Amino acid sequence: MLLPRFDYLEPKNLEGALDLLAIHRENAKLLAGGTDLLVRMKKGLLKPKSLISLKSLNELSYIKKEADSIKIGAGTPLADIIASGPVQDDARALSQACEKVGAVTIQHYRGTIGGNILQDNRCHHYNQSDFYRSGRQACHKDGGKICYARENADRCNSTCQSDGATALMALGAKLVLLSKGNERTVDLDQFYTADGIVPHSIEPHELLKEVIIPLNNAQSAYRRLAYRSAIDYPIVCAGVLLRPSETKKDQIHEARIVVGAISRAPLFLPQAASSLIGKKLDDTDAFKKAADASMDSAATFAVHNVGSTLEYRCEMISLMVFQALTEAAQASKI
Amino acid sequence: MEKIEITLNINGKPHEVMIYPNETLLDVLRDQLDMTGSKESCGEGVCGSCTIHMDGKPVRSCLTLALEARGAEIKTVEGLADGDELSNLQQSFIDHGAVQCGFCTPGMLMTADALLKENPKPDEKAIRKAIAGNICRCTGYAKIVEAVAHAAQPQDHCCDCNPKE
Repeated sequence: MLLPRFDYLEPKNLEGALDLLAIHRENAKLLAGGTDLLVRMKKGLLKPKSLISLKSLNELSYIKKEADSIKIGAGTPLADIIASGPVQDDARALSQACEKVGAVTIQHYRGTIGGNILQDNRCHHYNQSDFYRSGRQACHKDGGKICYARENADRCNSTCQSDGATALMALGAKLVLLSKGNERTVDLDQFYTADGIVPHSIEPHELLKEVIIPLNNAQSAYRRLAYRSAIDYPIVCAGVLLRPSETKKDQIHEARIVVGAISRAPLFLPQAASSLIGKKLDDTDAFKKAADASMDSAATFAVHNVGSTLEYRCEMISLMVFQALTEAAQASKI
Repeated sequence: MEKIEITLNINGKPHEVMIYPNETLLDVLRDQLDMTGSKESCGEGVCGSCTIHMDGKPVRSCLTLALEARGAEIKTVEGLADGDELSNLQQSFIDHGAVQCGFCTPGMLMTADALLKENPKPDEKAIRKAIAGNICRCTGYAKIVEAVAHAAQPQDHCCDCNPKE
């Protein structure tokens, strides 16, 4: 498959990349690993005038453990995150999520955590070849006025299938966005626009610099369901975090539940999680209730557009959440 | 869009080529350098038949721009054998019937080669996990797993295995 034409720009450092972004704005796209971007370009879903290569920007690839947080550079390959001891110990959900992304040959060297978070939303009516899409009217995401996933929908219902984002949202991560002369930090759960066409609230001249994961003695876990264990995107996934109370070690003080691959953004479900506060770490009934509550809240957002049937995916939400909660609880006890 | 002259270091030899920015490494390998060992199947990173090594790590060449491969040590399936002498892994693939139509084989070999470099004694689970990103439509996975296991540990391998001397 041929790639459309573009100009290749190669900044030498971060400063240069931000300058180029400030000049080209929406006409340019950042190329890190390319495992998502180049596929979309090959399918003609995206035709940027220029690509800004981040190849020489080694300053974006690092994992730093600090007293109260882990900082991961946006250009860090997924394989480095999987192999990282601090991430395995203190942010296990992320380690588990990265391990599930694509396949080893995508994770190593090419795929980056920044690219995983910023991957575009998907829909099996939209992520198709030029030829397939030319045979029907354009959908919302393609610049038209129709939604094939949900009848009479007035907006795009594409699904965010990022493994990394779901896990990171459960971990309460923050993103650091850079633009020329400016830097801002946003909570990942505030980062989404609820619009399937432009799912992330990142400006065209901004660059994702790093991900900050706060550490607070919590245990996390990530579970996903996909057709195949490798290559495929998740059709349902769940990330959870449980923090035991400091005084009573077997009691839950804080809980976060995030369900992914169901809606336009990973769904942070504080209401479902609130029922767990004060409960014991081995209270399986409470986990079941929270998982069912998650299913009820998340299922209303579900759209039939990433394979499998809607009923099955919705039912599996509670199982994924339950399994993740059990795993996180077990890890807390050790 | 203008052609750019770049040097690619492939299988230990430098190659100078004129390329357009939108050419992938796979395009350049196959169309300009006649290294047709790496195959293009899906072209979107799903099947793994275009797998090559960059700096010792397996990557999809169909999703790597040729321009991004400058400065990297590239190894393709052509670089596995030493002249006419096949590598252990290649010989093991032949002995175990791990090659059916052969289209996935270059990718499987490169992925397995990278696995064996990282983990010289992988168990079956590790092998299956490593090649999970490579699709074989003849579904000859069992033979491929056997071939990789044999290449890793010829002595300890399955008892009924008796490859040609």
